[in-house]
Amino acid sequence: MENSSAKRLCFARTNEKSNNSHYPNKHHHQIGHKHGEGSAIDYYAYASKIRGWNPSFKVVFSVLTLLLCIVLNNPLVSLAVIVSMAYLTVIKGGLPLRAYLSVLLIPITFIILGTVAIGIDFSSQPIGPFNFSLGSGYLYTSVAKLKEMVFLMLKVFGAISAMFMMTLSTPSSEIIEVLRKAHVPKLIIELMNLIYRYIFILLDVFNTMRNSADSRQGYCDFKTSCVTFGSVASNMLVLSLKKANAYYTAMEARGYEGELLFLEDEKPFQINQVIYPVGFIFFLLLLWYITK
Amino acid sequence: MREPILKVNNLHYSYGTGNPALKGISVNIYKGEKIAVIGSNGSGKSTFFLNANGVLKADHGEICYQGRVINKKNLKELRKNIGIVFQDADNQIIASTVMAEVGFGPMNLKLPREEVLRRVDEALTYMNILDFKDRPPHYLSGGEKKRVTIADIIAMKSEVIIFDEPTAALDPLNAQMLEEVLVKLGQEGKTMLISTHDVDFAYRWAERAIVFDRGRIIADGTPLEIFKNREILKQANLKRPAMLDVYEMLVEKKMIKNNDDYPTSPEELKVLLEKQFTCS
Repeated sequence: MENSSAKRLCFARTNEKSNNSHYPNKHHHQIGHKHGEGSAIDYYAYASKIRGWNPSFKVVFSVLTLLLCIVLNNPLVSLAVIVSMAYLTVIKGGLPLRAYLSVLLIPITFIILGTVAIGIDFSSQPIGPFNFSLGSGYLYTSVAKLKEMVFLMLKVFGAISAMFMMTLSTPSSEIIEVLRKAHVPKLIIELMNLIYRYIFILLDVFNTMRNSADSRQGYCDFKTSCVTFGSVASNMLVLSLKKANAYYTAMEARGYEGELLFLEDEKPFQINQVIYPVGFIFFLLLLWYITK
Repeated sequence: MREPILKVNNLHYSYGTGNPALKGISVNIYKGEKIAVIGSNGSGKSTFFLNANGVLKADHGEICYQGRVINKKNLKELRKNIGIVFQDADNQIIASTVMAEVGFGPMNLKLPREEVLRRVDEALTYMNILDFKDRPPHYLSGGEKKRVTIADIIAMKSEVIIFDEPTAALDPLNAQMLEEVLVKLGQEGKTMLISTHDVDFAYRWAERAIVFDRGRIIADGTPLEIFKNREILKQANLKRPAMLDVYEMLVEKKMIKNNDDYPTSPEELKVLLEKQFTCS
């Protein structure tokens, strides 16, 4: 335990030296978003304390939880999933609560916008137990409808937190490896690997170009910004083609023969890591059985 | 006469645009040599390296590795035994963890998994980056990335290691670390070719220097011979190493006696001065 936290500290320290666009600002305490939030998820996954758990197990567990959450369609089950997944990610995984909420904020917006349309309806007549006149029509709702809305929210939220448990504790390369073991076609696996690596390279290139354009007043007004954005985008295309060429050369120099072979770490499958999740799934089923 | 480990004979190469990049390169490289390849930008150094590794296929000429002429069949042998550390680490690092990256070469050699793991551990320990094993390359600094790319080649156990401008974009501390690694590799008898613009480094480190100019080799000899030849320096647009200038000035002003014992670093000059002043 101590060893892993020391490793994490060292991780954060060296990370500071490298490109600072890739990690969440240290003084970023409020819940909200800044540039590069997408790669922040990637960073959290690497820093997670439960990263050492077997990735296949984590993927299977989170997918199973997600499916149960949807299939059982029970608000108590959803609530149990939300709480336990938050526990796994925040307490076990060591992700700061603020960071977790900040990541969750992205889907929350969509969930609220999506479910409000179900809970509240529009009519020309004042119907339902609660209605609100808008002049020409009425907004109306009922307890049953509101209940449906809240339950749906919980369900979606539970499913999302199960997925986040996986993404916030398993780096993409490990998820890709799990997919490879699940016999997803090789072509797709190789593309995923390359795209994942490339995202960060292109982000780097883009940031450098944007900064250099910015330092020359490239974004001083709206029209200039549009022109600059266009040139940066076309430059990115040329550069990425060049980079692809350089990459291919480097791969060939190391004996690449048409198949990307990567060495993956085998993470031990611990029996006590299995007991709790299996117990948890039985608990969910039991909860559903009692309350249905 | 020793048998050269790598023998390049009358190599011609031109890129798709038709401009010849190499115009008849012939050179013999012997086992354990430490060679600095110098020359201005676009003089053909990198093209030569890619040809030597078999990535680019020459228009004319032949390459022999340990006496065997390289053809399509044994090209793999060439790639296995000649490793290139590329100039830009970001163009070389392909995998999304350091371990997978260093394992990429050995995996391509179709070695058994245990052997690959052993080699990866060995290479990472050698470069002192074992702690980074599970880290993704985009969270590494420039110097750390460079170490990973060197570990890439060490894991392949290449006989000949080519470094394409390794000191470019490294801070002084990392450059020093790199030089220590080069010395260590040299002691293990690896054959090394390094292209560089740092004449002081070439003067200090290399046993042999090859000067490229517009696709041709214009000089091949010890660094001392080459840096003393003003004509070659002028043709290839090279500077003289500072230590050589300092030494010659000291000799000229009769501060020290000239006994052809050229110091290549300030430390060596200090030893020389101490020796001369305690004698007199």
